[in-house]
Amino acid sequence: MAVYTHDVLVVGAGLAGMRAAIEAARNGADVALVTKLHPMRSHSGAAQGGINAALGEEDSWESHAFDTVKGSDYLADQDAVEILTREAPANIIELERMGTTFSRVEDGRIAQRPFGGAGFPRTCFIADITGQAILHVVYEQVMKLGITVYEEYFCTSLIVEDGEVRGVVAMPLITGDLVIMQGKAVIMATGGLGRVYAPTTNAIACTGDGMAIAYMAGAPLQDMEFMQFHPTTLKDSGVLMTEGARGEGGHLLNSLGERFMEKYAPNKFELASRDVVSRGEQTEIEEGRGIDGCVLLDVRHLGEEKINERLWQIRELAIDLTNTDMVHEPVKVRPGAHYAMGGIKTNIDCASVMPGLFAAGECANVSVHGSNRLGGNSLLETIVFGRRAGESAARYSKEAASKAPVSEASLARDHTRIQQLVEGAGNSGERPAVIRGELGRMMREDVGIFRTKEQLESALAKVVELKERYQTVRLEDTGKVFNLDLLSIFELGGMLDIAHTMVAGALAREESRGAHTRRDFPERDDEKWMKHTIAHREEDGSPRLEYGDVTMTRWEPEVRTY
Amino acid sequence: MEIRLKVRRQEAQSEYSSYSDYTVDMPEGATMLDALLQVRDYDDGSLALRYSCRSSICGSCAMRVNGRARLACKTKAVDMANGDEPIVVEPLGNMPVVKDLVTDMDVHWDKVRQITPWVENSGPEPEREHLVTHEVMLDVSNALSCIQCGACVSDCPVLEVDTSFIGPAAFAKAYRFVGDPRDDTTKERLQGLSATQGGIWDCTRCNMCVEVCPKDIRPMDRIMQLREKAVAAGVKENIGVRHGNSFAGSVRRLGRLDEIRLLPESVGMFNVPRLLSELPGAWRLFRAGKLPWQSAIPFMHKPIPGIKHVQRLYDQARNQKKEQAK
Amino acid sequence: MKYAFWPGCVSKGACPELYESMILISAKLGIELEEMYDGNCTGAGVISEHEPKLADMLNARNFAIAQKMGHDLVNICSTCQGVQSMVQEKLDRDEEYRAEINAQLAEEGLEYKPGLTIKNFMWVLVEDYGLDKLKEQVVRPLDGLRCGPFYGCYILRPSRILGMEEHPERDDYLEQIIEAVGGTAVDYEGKDKCCGFPILTNNRKNSLTQAGTHIGSAKDQGADCLVTPCPLCHLNLDAQQPSAAEVIQRELNVPIIHLPQLIGLALGIDPKLLRMNRHVVGTQAVLDKVLAAVEA
Repeated sequence: MAVYTHDVLVVGAGLAGMRAAIEAARNGADVALVTKLHPMRSHSGAAQGGINAALGEEDSWESHAFDTVKGSDYLADQDAVEILTREAPANIIELERMGTTFSRVEDGRIAQRPFGGAGFPRTCFIADITGQAILHVVYEQVMKLGITVYEEYFCTSLIVEDGEVRGVVAMPLITGDLVIMQGKAVIMATGGLGRVYAPTTNAIACTGDGMAIAYMAGAPLQDMEFMQFHPTTLKDSGVLMTEGARGEGGHLLNSLGERFMEKYAPNKFELASRDVVSRGEQTEIEEGRGIDGCVLLDVRHLGEEKINERLWQIRELAIDLTNTDMVHEPVKVRPGAHYAMGGIKTNIDCASVMPGLFAAGECANVSVHGSNRLGGNSLLETIVFGRRAGESAARYSKEAASKAPVSEASLARDHTRIQQLVEGAGNSGERPAVIRGELGRMMREDVGIFRTKEQLESALAKVVELKERYQTVRLEDTGKVFNLDLLSIFELGGMLDIAHTMVAGALAREESRGAHTRRDFPERDDEKWMKHTIAHREEDGSPRLEYGDVTMTRWEPEVRTY
Repeated sequence: MEIRLKVRRQEAQSEYSSYSDYTVDMPEGATMLDALLQVRDYDDGSLALRYSCRSSICGSCAMRVNGRARLACKTKAVDMANGDEPIVVEPLGNMPVVKDLVTDMDVHWDKVRQITPWVENSGPEPEREHLVTHEVMLDVSNALSCIQCGACVSDCPVLEVDTSFIGPAAFAKAYRFVGDPRDDTTKERLQGLSATQGGIWDCTRCNMCVEVCPKDIRPMDRIMQLREKAVAAGVKENIGVRHGNSFAGSVRRLGRLDEIRLLPESVGMFNVPRLLSELPGAWRLFRAGKLPWQSAIPFMHKPIPGIKHVQRLYDQARNQKKEQAK
Repeated sequence: MKYAFWPGCVSKGACPELYESMILISAKLGIELEEMYDGNCTGAGVISEHEPKLADMLNARNFAIAQKMGHDLVNICSTCQGVQSMVQEKLDRDEEYRAEINAQLAEEGLEYKPGLTIKNFMWVLVEDYGLDKLKEQVVRPLDGLRCGPFYGCYILRPSRILGMEEHPERDDYLEQIIEAVGGTAVDYEGKDKCCGFPILTNNRKNSLTQAGTHIGSAKDQGADCLVTPCPLCHLNLDAQQPSAAEVIQRELNVPIIHLPQLIGLALGIDPKLLRMNRHVVGTQAVLDKVLAAVEA
């Protein structure tokens, strides 16, 4: 059995993971990336619109912070938001020096575009391939530093000994044989969980693995009920049409040809925060002013040249996936599951409550987004908190006394699980796709933009039922090499656990805040609910909810209008 | 819509491959990836393929469909269907197969590592960001929007015969640095890229990479830009450059190509061994009557009537270029 | 049917048999060709590597000459077609650039106006002349002759500038023509790949390995000969074939026929006049088969 040893293991090689690895390496740690995809396949690459930083002379980090706190509907931890926004400019400049090809203005400085919920045009971008371009450059740095990358290694669980995280168990897809990866510190940077919904903007790989294995090992998940629905996604596929389309001046129209956002956000129109715009769209659709269950995103007035220069990717996607050329006609869009505000609870140094476990990026909840994230803040979070996680983990790994090697018994559980699945192949159980399909549909229908007690109770019952059915899920591929069937069964187990926390949190939270809108409790209730939901996993797999305080530094909650 | 697929199957490290036939019912707009996932999810859980974003940005799902490398998530199944024939799905070419449609992409990543894939800048750091023009960033971003899917690597005919060729995607990546004004090793890079073995001058300009690229990166055009930049940077000591000069010289002299002088001028007039190795070929041509008699005697080609206009265009183009360089 | 005829450099140089057979068959088919004696080399994609603008000016000059003659332009070279289409796309798309180029042509009294029709002879044959009409002219059907089509890169790629949307079958015309004159089109790996000619000087081994591999794969599929609309491919596939055979270490000996020669044989023109003897790889086996078919 193979055992690999490093000071710091980073699970996931998207922007947060790679940025963390770079920082850990710079701090002298022997660091390795462990990723179920090749780094360049990470979903960070799909981020289109941009990355926020108060670079302009008339802008300020305080203004950026205020917009972020207001966007979060006051649930964000303000100390974390201050770090995010204060460190943003230096981090952007650093990305530029690494070689990021930011779009420019006349005098050669980095250009910035307006984005939803922002009081200033502070979103830096590279056309509409911002995530991909940064991903390239950060991976270039990983190659430059010679950081070890274990590509296509799927982590099946965390190794915890004496209450400390000591590494991970991983399955290299190329061999299918479980390996032990020892690390004094482990950074989770596995990204989002969008695949618990169907459809979603998220990649097929976004199954919330890091959250699930951390949760399974005892790390609590925070604010899981808050799921962002992006206002502009394609109808059937759920593929994303960047917020940049509206940032550049695109309009949203209903079936009457009205710019309906005027009703919901009389000042900001289409550039209100995402929760507001998505609710507006959903209301139009439900009240009969939609078209095929969608509204229209119209950018024709921007002209072909600007569309080709700044929105080339989404133009191509709309042509490929819906036969719509945005230069000549509006494209049908609707709100779609996009981003998990919740994740592994961490402090501002990215440390989870479990010693040795750190987290950054979408899989973490340092709580800079609260109950609703602003566009352009997630890429920023990956860079700022990825860097901080790398630094913290490197420091922790140096301080940690050298430990006895991890015992081989630590992979016994996963090994047995695989044995059972292989032996049970051909039994009468259901295929993972069947259960996954039902989960996705249930989450869309009952844990969507608008929620009610009845829907959420039904969802809760459904999750429990699906978990039960999952116990006899049927494996078909019993081979070792590139066994994606086995992989999908592991992923599905985690998705069911995660969905459980989302449903439970949403049912408990009897108010409407940010992306969580209860029809039966339409108002924000600061008195009762200005608090974080913290989910712990019980022995039987069900979540136990606790609540934690929100950190406020300088911004008092106000009524939120756009 | 009924989609019939014929998918190549191969076990790890096995030379043996076979085809599996599948029929799936899909909605009208379904992509090849949708169809293959339908197979994987409901018909045959053992089918191996890579995929992730399904919006042509992660570059995972490149494979050969009906003989040509394509991104499965960007290719509509209905467009691939061909009457009664099933759609043939195979792994990418020019790299080893791991299993079924999954290939070992290290062939490509090793090439990327060869081209020093990061911006090198030893100068003092600017106070804030580097001040660079929007146009040049846009140009580099276009090359950078390559998703490294390997479609061009798969179908590149030079890689078929020479594994040392850097290859279209890695050259496009190289252009991203050569074209980036923040990199201060441009000349060294161009020298490396012009290397005799596997370098930019080994591209045949066949446009295959341009044709199969799902993101319109036009890798071959990047290679041509690299050639142009190499010449402009004075990296000229190779057959490729001399070939171009001889070609251009002939057109300037005659208005037409003088293929007879092309070879000696390209390989170098004093490259005796190479010239000798070409003699049998030249003799064969002559014997077949394929060399017009006057070609045997240099300077006997007659220029076209409007040669002075051709020469004028040359001089104008070159003067403009010089002025631009200033 | 009258065209401004651009023969290209190679048909007036190393492949005179192409030029001569083209003149013969066009007369026989009743296609009138007015030769552009003052045309210049397209640059074959080589000049554009170092001096893209110069290449554009040279090609614009050719276009303007054809327009002055008042006819569509026809070429007999895949490479010429590709380069011309590429430049034309650029000029037609960008008015400002076109004006800049035209300013340079003005001194000679030339101007390129967008929209010139530029067609390789293979396209003319299928789209303008018509395969049915061609079939009527066939007096010596090439029954039993197995021909491997070899297109040449530039007449296939990049497809977006080569009118493939309007004419989606342009990548199948060679097969259609071969069948129209009674031959059998042989499908083989490599028919749409590169012959290797552009790197013959720079990397002889790679170049000849490509040429040899494609010829070999056609031979494995039972081809008696290859047919090509590109004289540059012809140079690598025919003139270099003995060397290619050495490089890939297998016997080849597959005759390479220019498209107009193939048509000429079917039209009953004397093979000597078609200069079938001016090949490095002897064409006798092809002629034997063709003439035997007629006698039988």
